[in-house]
Amino acid sequence: MNGFALLFLIAGLGLIGWLTARARANRFDRGGAKRLHSLPGQHGMYVAMWTILPALLFVVVWSAAQPGLVKEAVLEHPAAAQLPQFEFERDALLAEAKRVASEDNATAFDPVAEQLAAPTRSAQAYYGWMGTGVAILLAFAGAAFALTRVGAHFKARSQVERGMMVLLLVASLIAILTTLGIFLSLLWESLRFFQQVPITDFLLGTHWSPQVIDANDPGKSLGAVPLFWGTFFIGAVIAMIVAIPFGLMSAIYLTQYAAPTVRKWMKPTLEMLAGVPTVVYGYFAALTVAPAVRDLAVSFGYTYASSESALAAGLVMGVMIIPFVSSMADDSIAAVPTAMRDGSLAMGATTSETISRVLIPAALPGVVAGILLAVSRAIGETMIVVMAASGAANITLNPFESATTVTKQIVDLLTGESEFDSPKTLAAFALGLTLFVITLLLNIVALRVVKRYREAYE
Amino acid sequence: MTETPHKMSARGVSVFYGDKQAVKDVSIDIAMDKVTAFIGPSGCGKSTFLRTLNRMNDTIPSARVTGDIMLDGENIYSSAMDVVQLRARVGMVFQKPNPFPKSIYENVAYGPRIHGLAPSKPDLDAIVERSLKRAGLWEEVKDRLQDSGTALSGGQQQRLCIARAIAVDPEVILMDEPASALDPIATAKIEELIHELRGRYAIAIVTHNMQQAARVSQRTAFFHLGTLVEYGDTDQIFTTPREERTKDYITGRYG
Amino acid sequence: MSKSLVPQLPTGPKEPDAKGSWRAPTDWTTHAMQKRIRRRYGAERRFRFFGLAAVSLSAAFLAFLLITMVANGWRGFTRTDVALPIDFPASGMLIERAQLRTPAADLALAGAGLENAVKGAAATAFGPGGEEFISENAWLRIRDAIKADPSILDRKMRIDVPASTEIDQAVRGDGNAEAKATVAKLQQAGALSRHFNLDFLYESDSTDPVAVGIWGALKGSLLTMAVTFLIAFPVGVLSAIYLEEYAPKNRWTDLIEVSINNLAAVPSIIFGLLGLAVFLGSWNLFGYQFGPLLPRSAALVGGLTLALMIMPVIVIASRNAVKAVPPSIRDAALGIGASPIQVVFHHVLPLAMPGILTGTIIGMARALGETAPLLLIGMRAFIVTPPGGFTDPATVLPVQIFLWSDEVSRGFVEKTSAAIIVLLVFLLAMNGLAIYLRNKFETRW
Repeated sequence: MNGFALLFLIAGLGLIGWLTARARANRFDRGGAKRLHSLPGQHGMYVAMWTILPALLFVVVWSAAQPGLVKEAVLEHPAAAQLPQFEFERDALLAEAKRVASEDNATAFDPVAEQLAAPTRSAQAYYGWMGTGVAILLAFAGAAFALTRVGAHFKARSQVERGMMVLLLVASLIAILTTLGIFLSLLWESLRFFQQVPITDFLLGTHWSPQVIDANDPGKSLGAVPLFWGTFFIGAVIAMIVAIPFGLMSAIYLTQYAAPTVRKWMKPTLEMLAGVPTVVYGYFAALTVAPAVRDLAVSFGYTYASSESALAAGLVMGVMIIPFVSSMADDSIAAVPTAMRDGSLAMGATTSETISRVLIPAALPGVVAGILLAVSRAIGETMIVVMAASGAANITLNPFESATTVTKQIVDLLTGESEFDSPKTLAAFALGLTLFVITLLLNIVALRVVKRYREAYE
Repeated sequence: MTETPHKMSARGVSVFYGDKQAVKDVSIDIAMDKVTAFIGPSGCGKSTFLRTLNRMNDTIPSARVTGDIMLDGENIYSSAMDVVQLRARVGMVFQKPNPFPKSIYENVAYGPRIHGLAPSKPDLDAIVERSLKRAGLWEEVKDRLQDSGTALSGGQQQRLCIARAIAVDPEVILMDEPASALDPIATAKIEELIHELRGRYAIAIVTHNMQQAARVSQRTAFFHLGTLVEYGDTDQIFTTPREERTKDYITGRYG
Repeated sequence: MSKSLVPQLPTGPKEPDAKGSWRAPTDWTTHAMQKRIRRRYGAERRFRFFGLAAVSLSAAFLAFLLITMVANGWRGFTRTDVALPIDFPASGMLIERAQLRTPAADLALAGAGLENAVKGAAATAFGPGGEEFISENAWLRIRDAIKADPSILDRKMRIDVPASTEIDQAVRGDGNAEAKATVAKLQQAGALSRHFNLDFLYESDSTDPVAVGIWGALKGSLLTMAVTFLIAFPVGVLSAIYLEEYAPKNRWTDLIEVSINNLAAVPSIIFGLLGLAVFLGSWNLFGYQFGPLLPRSAALVGGLTLALMIMPVIVIASRNAVKAVPPSIRDAALGIGASPIQVVFHHVLPLAMPGILTGTIIGMARALGETAPLLLIGMRAFIVTPPGGFTDPATVLPVQIFLWSDEVSRGFVEKTSAAIIVLLVFLLAMNGLAIYLRNKFETRW
């Protein structure tokens, strides 16, 4: 049975259970009691909960397990003996058989796959119906169990609320599971990578050329130092040279000088810079900024300037980061008590003296935290560098030369057509792990600084 | 009533916040060697009026001031008046102590630095020491001048703010309920300090504590609903007020 | 009140302590002081100018970016047509009139050699090589014209058909000299015309820049967003409620809280790696080898990945909205005997909903503009037919922009910019809605 149809069926059963229980609860013998513990609707909810949840849970588990069971069944078939031993090829043939089985009038290129199509189809049907049957049975069983418990003195509301509580807890656990999932999946793939490439080669090697990997010593061409440098150079140096002064001065101007109407319009305008998708920045960087930067370099007499220079990517990234710096700075300056500003103004300091000698020093922790977050954002930024930076891994201080970044390499490594287990694709996960750890550290430090800073003024 | 020259005089001053009028047509003189107290129930405009005396109302965009306020015969709202110099001459101490999050030394040295009053480091040291002494804080902090100003107790912080104000050698000091956030002992110290500063500076103090007004001031102005109800010698206001409203307020009928 | 009740301190100025003499007030009129003040005001003006410059330049950059995109992109919504004279009776097509009213009309027309007939007509009209002037899809337009009015098959008439990419470019001044000469010739004959048209919104990807459209990617985006919303919104709101209203303060709650705050700052590309490894990787569980859990390139995987990405945004916004509901409302509800669950679902949640929705829309806007994670999970396929469901191969708007930006043909520049305009219009609408909601419900208590 189709998955959606099954879900609708279960939901329908839940609705019927709800209506039945509510109708029954309406006719309860009150037995002299003025008020019953639970309303009819709550009895209904209780039955609906028991009808839907166990069946739904089973469907989720079953849909994860079914492919494995189908595969097992297909491998039992005599024709499966002709399958190649090598796992990768075998899986490809099984996938083809599956495709033939699920589509009308499809044909397979491989005769074995063609032969296996029929057993695949029957196994799929068998397990499919089995799953559907069990799910419906569970729904009925749950409904029956719940209906027997419903009665005049049954505390349906407390039970439903306990169920809600579990649901809420599960929802908030998903956050932890995601974090854990990210960390474990990155770690797992990275460990597989480090089995093939020594971790020291990866972290300390200065030569990066994943296009040509020596099978005997893959570590020789997978040294990530140029990527780390490029990421730092573009994201933490060039971008910040643009973003910090612009962001900080914008925040100062908008909080301290601008008329309320100007602030009302300019603040959202600057925030729009953060709302523009990065792919648009990337396109803009590649189409307009990069050629302009190259022409500039050539006019300086630097004729070998790259049209994928670090400067172009860094500049545009810096512009993208301006609103992050500015809104963090805005918040921290606003958090400085007005009394402090008044205290300085009242003794005859000019506004700029007040800002640079009192407000900024007082707001400094918040501003620094904002800059750390901005750096973490910049080094994790992908599309601008994918579209405007080069793939050539150089360690250079010259902004007109090309440099590449961790994120750009992750995309390049994973969008090529290569099998999943090669050092090349696994390297992407090792890069991802490095990026994750660094941004996490920056973030933890920044959040801690912000927290302490807030406490100081509360 | 008084023979001494008027340091500041206000004539027909009104303050508006947007459409709302907070101070209505107030005229008052502040004498050089006297402490002038502004009393009245909260929301009566006394603090607002005080803030017009060194143009701190300029920092509120919707505030508008009409009328004349003279400092030594010069209109402080005229375009020729420089607000930076004005505030150096008319210092202010706020209701809540507001030391900068810097060291005690830096708090006091801030004003002389920005105004260029100390040509050298020893001069600056001297100004800091002298100001702290005058604020009666020197003995308590002389060994920890580099500690943060925010680490002091509330009363000490307020005296630090006074030291900060007198470090730029102002001519007038405005105090906006300087003791309202402090405990009685710290309050007594502040009052004692006001006594010592009297005669050196023209002092105007806003307070909602009538005993305090009686203790520290020689002249008292009673504000009610934005208008100046009565203004005269403190002795006279507290013993034989001319206006019924003043009498009601002083005897605690409302407020 | 009698005077005796007021304790009096000793009056009169004390002599200052030995160390300091009372200095005379500063003389502000000296030349040096005046000069100093002027210098300070100069610094003030410069500082203020820098601030203004920073704001203006940032805004100017935004304006420049938008103007560039619009200037390039509006042309994506225009098309050059060639008026093609075609003589149907002379074309020698064998068409069964009766079939034109049946669903088999398309097949019948295609089988009748319409495509060749159109090419022949172009060669006749514009000389040898004339078929190069019209788009390869030009016959589709003729086909639609015939279906709309079969009687034209008896006549000779001029029908506007799309020009080829070369001609199209040359009209805009971008082509080679030869194409430009052709354009001049055609223009003299009055055969060229340019129209604003919205075909771009209805077509899908193609190798021919004249024929490409955004609908395939847009539909992919809508499907992906639907999955994202269905996962991220309930999970995000429920976990926000748990954390804000019920969670005991202990180490586990702290851990959840720290996780969510940090998830919000994890680079988006990491979520792509997660999606790749978890949803599309192979699994070994209980001795069974699982293939990919979900089909590659599908809106389902993209939606799930983006849902994980924006969930923290929704959680944080929802928590703030829930926190902003005054405690008095909870007390009031508890006071009349509502259970904690009822307090939240009857009172707190409805009041917090505008704030929650604002945060959700902002999160969804972020997901709509996101590219990098979707590249990794393979939503970069060449999709000619719009996806029919959540598990069909699909691409999304930003990825389509990325793919077109990589094309060498000049014709794709304006199509890329046009796609960017479409994307920005959607984002602007979403952000506008968020701002509207925020302003409308801002001061409720």
